[in-house]
Amino acid sequence: MLMAKADRYTAAALLALAVAMFVGGWTMSRLEIRQIHPASIPGLVPMILGVLLAICAGLLFRASFDDTARGVEPIMVGGSWWRLGITGAICVIYALVLIGWASYFWATAIFTFAFALIFSYPTEGTTRSRLTAVAGSVALGLGIAYGSALLFEQLFLVRLP
Amino acid sequence: MSGLQDLVAGLALLMTPMMLFHAAWSTLLGIVVGSLPGLTATMGVALMTTLTYSLDSNAAILVLICMYVGAIYGGSRSAILLNIPGTPASAATSLDGYPLAKAGRAGYAMGLATAGSALGTLAGIVMLVMIAPPLAEAALNFGSFEFFWLAVFGILISGQLTADTTPLKGYIAGILGLMVAMVGSEGIHAHVRFTFGVSDLNAGIALIPAMVGAFGFAEVLTAMWNKAGVLAIAKDKSDKTIPDLIDLWRYKVTILRSGVIGTLVGIIPGVGEDIGAWGSYAAAKRTSKEADKFGSGSYEGLIAAETGNSAVVPGSLIPAITLAVPGSASSAVLIAALFIHGIRPGPLIMIEQPHFVGLIGAMLIVATLFMAIYGLSMTRLFIQVLRVPYAYLMPVVFVLCVIGTYALSQRLFDVWIMVAFGLIGFVLRQMKYPMAPLVLGIILGDLLDKSLRRGLTLTDGEILPFFTRPVSAVFVALIVLSILFNIPAVRRLAMAPLRRIGRWRDV
Repeated sequence: MLMAKADRYTAAALLALAVAMFVGGWTMSRLEIRQIHPASIPGLVPMILGVLLAICAGLLFRASFDDTARGVEPIMVGGSWWRLGITGAICVIYALVLIGWASYFWATAIFTFAFALIFSYPTEGTTRSRLTAVAGSVALGLGIAYGSALLFEQLFLVRLP
Repeated sequence: MSGLQDLVAGLALLMTPMMLFHAAWSTLLGIVVGSLPGLTATMGVALMTTLTYSLDSNAAILVLICMYVGAIYGGSRSAILLNIPGTPASAATSLDGYPLAKAGRAGYAMGLATAGSALGTLAGIVMLVMIAPPLAEAALNFGSFEFFWLAVFGILISGQLTADTTPLKGYIAGILGLMVAMVGSEGIHAHVRFTFGVSDLNAGIALIPAMVGAFGFAEVLTAMWNKAGVLAIAKDKSDKTIPDLIDLWRYKVTILRSGVIGTLVGIIPGVGEDIGAWGSYAAAKRTSKEADKFGSGSYEGLIAAETGNSAVVPGSLIPAITLAVPGSASSAVLIAALFIHGIRPGPLIMIEQPHFVGLIGAMLIVATLFMAIYGLSMTRLFIQVLRVPYAYLMPVVFVLCVIGTYALSQRLFDVWIMVAFGLIGFVLRQMKYPMAPLVLGIILGDLLDKSLRRGLTLTDGEILPFFTRPVSAVFVALIVLSILFNIPAVRRLAMAPLRRIGRWRDV
């Protein structure tokens, strides 16, 4: 996708956020019952921010039609979607699902092992190199899980999830 | 003289085996973190904050400052050897460092980078000790009006100077940061805003999870997305790591100028080391007799970039300590860490802890000393560090992001915040939105909100005092000028007399 197009979509999303912020500030309690000064209502700054963001969204939308090199610059190119997708997925699964569901030690060991193995496994390598990758990933998984658990639980007295 | 006395007293306090041990390991770790592309100084300081909860305040701050100094310097390793800046601060270093490495002079380039970084930090320390105390005293006279404009100015200038393409994206990032700061209980009437019934949001979004996400998880994603660099390990027989004094002496003016530029850039809220390096590099190129060598292996360019980015570190601590307004993203984390360890940065620091600035200066000196020792003696080790595959490094980083965030208040909600900020931060970065104004917005949101409403209450809703008080008027003028200068037509008009003078000179 080109930057100009992405900017247009972003401008629309920002405008929606700006309107939501302004409406949120406008409809927020004015705390009349506590007889506060009208200039100190809690919704004041959110309303101002909503207006400012709406202006910026408008300027971004307008600038996206300018004929500059910036606009035709592609975004999200030159990297590996496969690596990004796998990384994002296993990190999110670890942080949002595994932690809290399994004990910290096993969640961390499984995550570290999986991450290291996926990205270091030589699909076209020899049996020996494959075994080395698996052994290295197991050692890293157990080592990091044990080391971090020990550090935070014993030294920093954190009750692990 | 009292600044110097505080500095000496601070040094005496740090000369214990335990403090030196903390400085030694944390500086080394900082250099390793900084040298690895994908791990930045801010991320290092944020993760290290979570590892210093149990240390006493002086040791914890020493560890964080050593990590900061080490990481900013460490970025030069991969900039020189891989042509990939280890941290954004070293982007200018790679322009001349990598050509030198390809020519077999990697060792000498790293030696020069070390000397430049050490001298830059020392220049910044001198200015820190000189400027911070009077600035804090001046800030004692600040009221709500001035703090409001200071917050606006900080976010505006940070957005303007850190944006890659257009300042507009910097402004948007700053406003988004301010919006994040609006979540939770507000500071005047304790009214809870934008929590949507989620009680975990009542206290707002904590800075550390947000920063660990935006700088930690987002960087893990960025590192795995990007391709790895090629290590330049050609070696010339004449290569060495100890720089010739004659080379340093020849570039003394460049070093001094870069030190001053770096420190001044550091003082500007939320601007950071990369701008310090680019500013120093550009100034050196403009005035150099060897300008044609810049970009193809210039010693002067390398020294200017490294002196400039390292001088930002002490410079950024000046507003961080005296105004609680961070000079860079890393110093934003340092502010949060200071609060965690019971130190309240801000104008009252010179009353509550008058020797604190001297102590920070002493910590920076110790960190610089260790940085120079490691930098000149451990070149081979750093080359090995760069060979560590991401497959083994990145899961470790992410585990620390998760457990470090959780350890802050032992609730999983902070981990979710970290993940959310990581994903959003990654997308925003890809679309060239700078992260520094976003972070500055989160930090300054509360100050801006409270100062505006408190000021309006004091004046019974009258906004004129926001513009007529002397310091406020100066801030307003600076803000208006900086916005106007972004409008091409106004900039052309303002620069016309200067261009005319230039033409007369040429004639």
